[in-house]
Amino acid sequence: MGLDRRGFVKFVVGGVAGTLFTPVIWQSLDDVSIWSQNWPWIPRLNKGEVKSTAALSKLCPAGCAVKVKTLGGLPYAAIGNTANPMSKGGVCPVCAGGAQLMYSPARVASPMKKVGEGKFEAIKWEDAEAMLVEKLTAVKGQEGKLAVISGDETGSANDVFSAFAAGMGSTGFYMMPGEMLTATKGVKLMGGNGQPGFDIAGADFVLMIGADALDSWGATVANQKAFAATRPTGGAATAQFVYAGPVLNNTASVSDKWVAVTPTGASAFALGLANLLIAAGAVSSAPDFADYKALAAKFTPEAVEAAAGVKAEVLKDLAAKLKAAKAPLVIAGASFGQGAGAVDFCAAASLNVLLGRVNVTGGMTVLPTAPKALAAAIGRESALDAGSFLSAVATGKATPAVLMVYEANPAFALPQAGEMAKSLGNIAFKVSFSTYMDETAAMADLILPAPHPYERFDDAMNPYGVAKPTYLAGKPVVKKPVADCKDPVDVLLAAAGKLGVSLGFETYADVIKAKASAVGADLDTLTAGGAWTSDGKGGNLSLGAAALAKVAPAAADPKTLAVAPVTRQAFGSGSLATPPANLLIVREDELTGKDLVVRMNAATAKAAGVTQGAKVKLTAGSGELKARISVNEGVAAGTVAVPMGFGRSAWDEFTKGKGDNVYKILTVSDEAGTGLKVWAGSTVTVAKG
Amino acid sequence: MKAKEFNIKWGMVIDLDKCTGCGACMTACQVENNIAPMVDSSNKLRTLSWMLVFEMSNKKPCPDAEIAYLPRPCMQCGNPACVPVCPVVATDKNEEGGIVSQIYPRCIGCRYCMAACPYHARYFNWEDPIFPKGMEKALSPSTSTRPRGVVEKCNFCHTRLQNAKDKVRMEGGNPEALPDGAYMPACSEVCPTGAITFGDLKNPEHKVHELAKSENAFRLLEKLGLAPQVYYMSKREWVRKLGDNYAATGKPGAEKKHS
Repeated sequence: MGLDRRGFVKFVVGGVAGTLFTPVIWQSLDDVSIWSQNWPWIPRLNKGEVKSTAALSKLCPAGCAVKVKTLGGLPYAAIGNTANPMSKGGVCPVCAGGAQLMYSPARVASPMKKVGEGKFEAIKWEDAEAMLVEKLTAVKGQEGKLAVISGDETGSANDVFSAFAAGMGSTGFYMMPGEMLTATKGVKLMGGNGQPGFDIAGADFVLMIGADALDSWGATVANQKAFAATRPTGGAATAQFVYAGPVLNNTASVSDKWVAVTPTGASAFALGLANLLIAAGAVSSAPDFADYKALAAKFTPEAVEAAAGVKAEVLKDLAAKLKAAKAPLVIAGASFGQGAGAVDFCAAASLNVLLGRVNVTGGMTVLPTAPKALAAAIGRESALDAGSFLSAVATGKATPAVLMVYEANPAFALPQAGEMAKSLGNIAFKVSFSTYMDETAAMADLILPAPHPYERFDDAMNPYGVAKPTYLAGKPVVKKPVADCKDPVDVLLAAAGKLGVSLGFETYADVIKAKASAVGADLDTLTAGGAWTSDGKGGNLSLGAAALAKVAPAAADPKTLAVAPVTRQAFGSGSLATPPANLLIVREDELTGKDLVVRMNAATAKAAGVTQGAKVKLTAGSGELKARISVNEGVAAGTVAVPMGFGRSAWDEFTKGKGDNVYKILTVSDEAGTGLKVWAGSTVTVAKG
Repeated sequence: MKAKEFNIKWGMVIDLDKCTGCGACMTACQVENNIAPMVDSSNKLRTLSWMLVFEMSNKKPCPDAEIAYLPRPCMQCGNPACVPVCPVVATDKNEEGGIVSQIYPRCIGCRYCMAACPYHARYFNWEDPIFPKGMEKALSPSTSTRPRGVVEKCNFCHTRLQNAKDKVRMEGGNPEALPDGAYMPACSEVCPTGAITFGDLKNPEHKVHELAKSENAFRLLEKLGLAPQVYYMSKREWVRKLGDNYAATGKPGAEKKHS
C-alpha cells in the first residue's frame, strides 16, 4: 500500500488536528510547569486543626492581648482579640509577627555557659542552675554584691526579682530607662504618688508633647483605638490631636497639626503655653499657683521661639485651642520614650493641672499604687535606674560581683552604649535570662533561656499610659516550648529555695495567681483574654513650681546638632531586635544596605554642609555613629533624626551589622534639681565620612 | 475598555487620615501569605511586599511639612492591565467578587504583568522562599509557598473568602451574600486604627458601599481607567491630589477629574 498525495495530506492534517485536540501535550506542559516548581527545598504547608487561643503577647513593651492561631497545636499567626477592652481587636506590628518570633534564628536553644570570648557551650539545666546557686551563695548577705536589671515594666517577675535581691541582702534592683521611671518621679515632684495615666478616649483635644502616643509610647494599641474612635471613617472627627516634637513621626502624620519643637525645647514650649493660658484667664487652686504663674511669665512667646523654635503665632493659636476645648488633655513624654527628665515631664503635665484636667474623664490621672505579689518587693515608685547603676560601676562606686539581667539588654539600649557595655564587662559574673541572643546575652557568663510569650505564664500590671488601673495575664498557648528553656521566675524561685531565701512561691504561675487575688481579678477571665480594670484614683497634684524653677532655656551651640532618636514600634525595642516579619517595614530612608539613614531638613543640611545620600559621621564624646543623609522636611531645625533599634552586634543575620546604634551617641547629663540621668538633649557634631 | 462587572465586588476603602503607618498590615500580610524574610530587606527590588505602606509628603519645608501613609495592596482593578498581557493566562479576573487571580504553577515568570501594572503591586520571586530553620513550622495554611521564577501579588487573602463562604454554607446561609465583616483580609483585620474598611462595594449593607462614594474618596491614577476596587479617602486635599497624580493636565497635583 503506497502513500499517495491525498493520503499524505490527510495524514498531516489529521496529525495536526490530533495534536491540537489531544490533551496529552497540554497536560504534559502543565505538568512540566508544575513539576518544575515542585522542588524538595520549597517548604510545604502543614496540616492540622486550626484553633485560636487567647494570649498575652508581651513582645512589645505594653503587651498586646491577642488570639494566637494554631495549626495542629503550633502557632502560626496572631490576630486581635476583640473581646479585650485594652486592644479591642488591634495588634501592634511586633505582636502581629509573634508566631514567627517563636522560631527566630536568634533564639537561645538551651542553657549556655561562656567558655571564651564570644564562645559558648550548651550545658544541662541542672548544671546551669547549680552554677547560678553557687555564684549567688558567694554573694549572699553582702550589700552591693548582687544586682538585678529588669527591662520588663509590667510583670510580677519584678516583684520576685526585687524581693529575691532583698532576701539576699541587696538593694540592687534596677529598671531599664523608660517613661514609667521618669514620669513616676515627675508625679512626685508634683506632690503626688503613683504612675500617671492619660485618658485619650475621653478627651476632645489631645496635645502630645514629645509622647509618640500613636506608635511607640504607652499602651500603643489602646491609644490607637482611642484615636480611631474619634475619627469614624467617613464621619466628622470628634477630637483634635496635635503632636509637638522634633520629628514628624508616625503620630504626627495623623495628627491635625505637627508643631516642630527642638529636642531641648519641650519644657520651654509647655511653660510658654502655660504663660499664654494664664494670661487668658486660666487659674488653678493648686497651692503653688502664684509661684507657677511668676515662673511661666518668663516664657514669653519670644522666649519660647528662641528656646524651642516655635513661632509665636503657632504657640498662641495652640493656647487658644487648648482654652477653647471642653476636655483638653496634655500628654507628657520624651520623643523617643526615654531620656527626658522628671522636670520635663512636670512641665508638660502641669498644663493638665492648670486646665483642671486631673483625675477627670478625658484628663490625666494618677493611678493608685498597685498591689505587690510579695511583701518584700520594691514598688515602681522606688525603682532605681540601670543607667545610673552602670555609670557607678564604671567609676568604681558600685562593685557588684553578680548581675542578673531579666528581659533587658543594657549592653545595647543604654546611652553611651559603648561605655555601658564596658561597665558590664567589669562585673565578674553576669547571668542573662533572655529568650534571644541579644548583645547582653552575648556578653554573659551564663545564659538561661527564657520562654517566648506563647510558652509562659506572664502578667502586665498597669502598662504605662493607661488611664485606669488595669491588669492582664496570660498562660502558655503551646504544650512544649520550642527551645530548651525555663521560666526565669521558676528558675529564680528554685534557686531561692536552695539559698534559704524564702519567697513563699514555687512557680511564676503561683505568683500571678496571688497577684490576681490581691488585685481582686479573676485569673481565669484574664487568661481567657479579658482584662481587669478599676476606677481607683490617686491623689491630687500641684503644679510642680518648685521643680520647674530649675527649667532654663538651653543655649544651642551652632556647631552641633541636636539628636532626635526616632522610635518605631515595628523595629522592636531595646530588648528586641527588628523581628523577621517586620523587616519589610523598614524604608529606604531608614536603612539602605548596611547603612543607617539619618534625616535633617534642607536648611540644616545646608548649614552642616551635607547633601542627600552623603556619608557622615556623627560624633559625641567617645561615641561615633556612621550614617547616610536623607534630606527630609519632617525634622525640626538644627536637629538630626536618627532611627532607633539598628546597629545590632548579636541577634541574627537579619539584623546583625545593619545600620548603627544611636545609643552610642546619646550623652548623659544630670538633670538640674533632681539629679536624674537625662539624655534627651544630646548633641553631635557632623563630619563627612 | 469596559471594566468587568460582577454582582459582588470586593473592595477596600482605606482612610488615610487614620493610617499611622505602623506597618502591622504589612506584617499580618507577610504572615498570612508565607513570605519568607530576606537577609537584605533594604533591597526593595528583590523584596516581596504584597502590602506596602508608602510615605507621602506635601513637599513643604519645615515646619509646614505634612506626611501621610498610604497602604498599597493589589488594586484588583475592574479593568486590570496585567490580565491581557499574560501569555499563559496565569492571572485572570473571572470570579464573582472581582479578585484578580494569580495561579503560581501556571506562571512562567515573564513579568509582562509587572511591567503592565502601574501600581507596582506585583512581585517576582528572585529567590526561593527559604525560611530560617524551624520557622517553616509557623507557615500559614492559607497560602501555598511559591518557588523562584514566578510572579505573585495580593489576592485579598482569597482563602479567607473561601473559608467565610464555607462557614456561611454550614450555617445554612447564602455564600453569595456574606454579611459585612464575615470576610476580611489579614491587613484589614489587624489594623489597630481600623483604617482599612473591607467589604462588597455593590452591597448597600456593607460599609464600603457608601464610603466609596464619599466626596473625600478617590482611587489611585484614575485617569488610566483601570477602575481599581481599592478606594482611599482623606480630608487633606494635597493627599487626594497626589493620589491622582498627573490626572487632568499631565502636571503633578492637578485638579481631579472622576471618570
